[in-house]
Amino acid sequence: MPGRMSDPSDSLVPFSPDVRDPVVYSLHHDLKAPISRLSISWSKGNCLRVSFFGKKSSNSSAEGSGNSNDQIGGKVVEVKLSSEDGEIDEAQKRRIAYGSVSPFALLQSRKNSMSLLSKMSMGSSTYHVEWWEHVMEYSKDINLLLGSPKPLPSPVIEDPKTVLKAMEKPTCLKAAWELMEIFYADKQSQAWLPESLVDWLADYDNLLSETGTTVYSKLVDLQKELVTLQAVEDNPKYWEGISSALAVGWLEIVVKLLRLHGSYQLDQLGNRETENGLVEAVAVLISKMPRIRTELAVGRLGECYKTKPDFVKAWEKWRGQITKLECSAFWVQCDHRQTREGLKNVLQIMLGNTNSLNTVTSHWIELYISHFLYVRPFTMGLESMYSLAQKCMQLKPTSSTHRLMGLLLGILGENTEVVLAECSRSFGPWMVAHAVELLTAGSKQAEILLHEERYNLGGISIEELHRLVYAQILSSHALTWQIAPIYLTSCTKQGMGLLEILLYKQPIQHNHLLLKIAGIHHWKHGKKGSGIFWLQQAQDEVRLNRIAQQLFDFVGKSISDESFKQWEGLIELLGSEARTVGGLEFLHKYRDFKKSLQQVQDGHITDAARQAVESLILLMKNPSTPQRFWLPLLHDSRTGPGIEAEKRGSLVKLLNWSEHPLLNISQTNLLLNKLQELSMAKLHPDFIEADLPPHALNSVRLALATNLGRAFLEE
Amino acid sequence: MAMVAEGVGTLQIHRISQPKYIDALRWLSPLSAFERFAVLALHDSDSDVSSIEIQALNRSNPSNLHLQSSWASPARISTLRVSQIPQKPLVAASTYMGSLHFLFTDPVDASLESELSLAEKSFHAGPISGIDLQGTGSECVSVGEDGRVNLVTIGDSKLNYRRVFDSHGLVSYTAAKWASPAEFATGGLGFSLQYWDQRKPGGAVSQFKGNWGRGNMSEIVHSIDIHPSRKHILLAGGSSGTVFAWDLRWQKQPVLLSGIVPGETVVSPSESEVWEVQFDCYMQSATIGNISSGQILPVMMCSEDGILAVIKQGEQPMEILAEPCAINSFDIDKQNPSDLLCSLEWESIVILSRQ
Repeated sequence: MPGRMSDPSDSLVPFSPDVRDPVVYSLHHDLKAPISRLSISWSKGNCLRVSFFGKKSSNSSAEGSGNSNDQIGGKVVEVKLSSEDGEIDEAQKRRIAYGSVSPFALLQSRKNSMSLLSKMSMGSSTYHVEWWEHVMEYSKDINLLLGSPKPLPSPVIEDPKTVLKAMEKPTCLKAAWELMEIFYADKQSQAWLPESLVDWLADYDNLLSETGTTVYSKLVDLQKELVTLQAVEDNPKYWEGISSALAVGWLEIVVKLLRLHGSYQLDQLGNRETENGLVEAVAVLISKMPRIRTELAVGRLGECYKTKPDFVKAWEKWRGQITKLECSAFWVQCDHRQTREGLKNVLQIMLGNTNSLNTVTSHWIELYISHFLYVRPFTMGLESMYSLAQKCMQLKPTSSTHRLMGLLLGILGENTEVVLAECSRSFGPWMVAHAVELLTAGSKQAEILLHEERYNLGGISIEELHRLVYAQILSSHALTWQIAPIYLTSCTKQGMGLLEILLYKQPIQHNHLLLKIAGIHHWKHGKKGSGIFWLQQAQDEVRLNRIAQQLFDFVGKSISDESFKQWEGLIELLGSEARTVGGLEFLHKYRDFKKSLQQVQDGHITDAARQAVESLILLMKNPSTPQRFWLPLLHDSRTGPGIEAEKRGSLVKLLNWSEHPLLNISQTNLLLNKLQELSMAKLHPDFIEADLPPHALNSVRLALATNLGRAFLEE
Repeated sequence: MAMVAEGVGTLQIHRISQPKYIDALRWLSPLSAFERFAVLALHDSDSDVSSIEIQALNRSNPSNLHLQSSWASPARISTLRVSQIPQKPLVAASTYMGSLHFLFTDPVDASLESELSLAEKSFHAGPISGIDLQGTGSECVSVGEDGRVNLVTIGDSKLNYRRVFDSHGLVSYTAAKWASPAEFATGGLGFSLQYWDQRKPGGAVSQFKGNWGRGNMSEIVHSIDIHPSRKHILLAGGSSGTVFAWDLRWQKQPVLLSGIVPGETVVSPSESEVWEVQFDCYMQSATIGNISSGQILPVMMCSEDGILAVIKQGEQPMEILAEPCAINSFDIDKQNPSDLLCSLEWESIVILSRQ
């Protein structure tokens, strides 16, 4: 991490000073002796590796205790740290991380090309898509990753009494993302913020049920009872459920519940006509509620008005109808007390009676939403929304703040830093790194704040800081480190430096050190082929030369028909080109030489012998053939080490070739010179004596001299 | 689900996330007409546990996977093979620990019936890098970095193996493939290929070494394939986007299908590691007749840079998928070659259907 981490005020990662009480976990290490050293390091993922070192047992000393033999010297324990956020498991988190790469990268590239374009055309925007539309596309893509509400498997025949569909529980992360989207990215919904919040609560009210009663939890209870109840209208819970659902604007549920009223049953219709008429009238009024928004999804109730004047007209008319119904004479004729009172309460809610709203809602945000719907549908601007929220919180105080509410209050309070802090504290680094895009699109001030280079952050911006933090987390896991560069390259100040560090840590193709390690590892473990391959990749001439010496001894000793097959592949791998093979390239020629020699012994004489000689000359001419191999090579061509006594003298055979000498004068001279050089070198103290019979040098010299004589005669 | 317009038709794509890393995957086509199965070799990075799972795919709704059976592996799986006989569905898996496992499954519902394992120290030293099941499912060839080539005979209740060859680590092998009941091929480092004949013991009968590598470029054969009708042609895919075919009848000149090679003009769909190659048997029967015996049949490959493509000799490669992450392996359904299965680096599988 760049910079320092000293006191909270200028710390890199914003963290809340209100640290919860530390939790103590005990680790079992089973070490009897006192621990002399403790080492803690990160293992993969969220694993901490704790190494315990016991006190060194002193076996040699006189005081040595009896049990020192069964004493373990130390122990390593891996501690898995689970994340605070229990609602999303690690695999799901990785899935989100993988999925957000493409939308993020696309948005960054659009940002770059857009800034390039604006620089070039200097503001003449003929072809210009609004930036927020790109951000919105990005937001929708990310939102999709966080899961879509899936209905739980339901029975094929739908129960008419099912008012609340069983849904898979959404995550707080998704709820938080949508909240950010509503306020910062979706510029179209800016005029209908209250209605957007109504929809948002409808989707996520069940998340608030964790901490207390909500309209949702009330309806869940009611749903359970509905199945057994005969006359629902007699039960006060039925009317409570209707009023509560109405208060938060779940009109479909309200209408569905109303239609379960007993007066709808065919056998009752006759004597409960007036009662039924009133229920139906209320149901119709509810389904015709004017809404100030562009559209409603299919199946949703209410009538949409896009402009304020149209809405005001409809709103006044609707309220007029409610008032008219309230004063109607039919109420007197309604005998069923619960129905009468229940419906009247419903009308009060529709008329925006604050007392009624207060009693039927549970959580402050439900009261808040009900105010938007029935009291102040024209609430505009975050300032007035914020003050209304505070009023509702005073009316319905909660003991603890839900993390979603913390985020919402930060947004309404128009404090970018608080929003970021809430995101970071409650939803983690992934959320912050990605939500910054929404925040910067939200307002000019936020953009300036997040893009400003800060001295206390080591010259980087808040935006870059959070990307760096997220990239760090990605690079700590084997499966996600490959994503980290995408985020690091979007960091202009420190990104490249960290990317270098990250790549340096990874086993990549051109990292010679790692290739060498791989090579040495394979060689040591007997995989000579792999060893040489990796050392070739690393272009490690020194080691390859050393290996060549070992191999030569090995090849020389064991070359026979059967073992030759084994060598075939390896020598093939070494290749014939003199590129990165080091001293090993001569092995390739040596192989050819051996092959020809073998054929001579097998009786394929003429061509093979010529080839053998050519290979020998090539080998002896080649500067890369080490001097210490000269004599073995020459001697080899005289007597192959693996060949039995009766086959000996094959070089003599080779050199005393019956038809004509195989070596011409210059070739013989070359070999004789080499022998001379070798005799001189023998006097040198560093000379390594080859493992050959003592007369080897002389017998080769003799054979060569004979050949020279024959060659003279020939020419 | 997404529909993608293609040159030849449409492509149905289903992406399914898995909570684990997929090391290998294969189709398993049983006798059942309604269902078919995918065999997945999985690795859980959190718990470091490896397993083989058989997932059932609904023919009408492929994105609906459900677990049929699962088997815990003692180590991470390096290669996965499935016998192609529907009456005898057999799954073979080799591990990085050097053990080889055979899972016998029910021909109808693909539930696991029994398991045979070979985990002797003398079998392989270190990871097994390649295995292949013979057509009849009675023999399996295994190769490793240790330079051993083993033949395993699969009995009903017993496994026997014999060493075909041991290079004592002088040569490391990375892939194996049967050509006929007696012949098989292997691939290894330095773009090398070997052709073996059980009737001629003592070593490979033919060897090939690709020598177009440049300096520090890595040259490893990752995968090989042989078309049943043309056993003399070895197909190999490996480092740096390289895909080549080696015709045993023209030993000196391999046919380069993809790759960055100085002096060669071949359009490469990828420049990174080619993890798997297979002959693509999905094509109109009319066109197959038009391909002369000297020409290489269409080839499918997947790569580290996220490309799944079909290469036809002398034509522009046809991209089927371009993913933001690596495509680590794929399999063509032998019974229904329009259907493909591939595994992505980002812990997910993709089911494709060409129409």
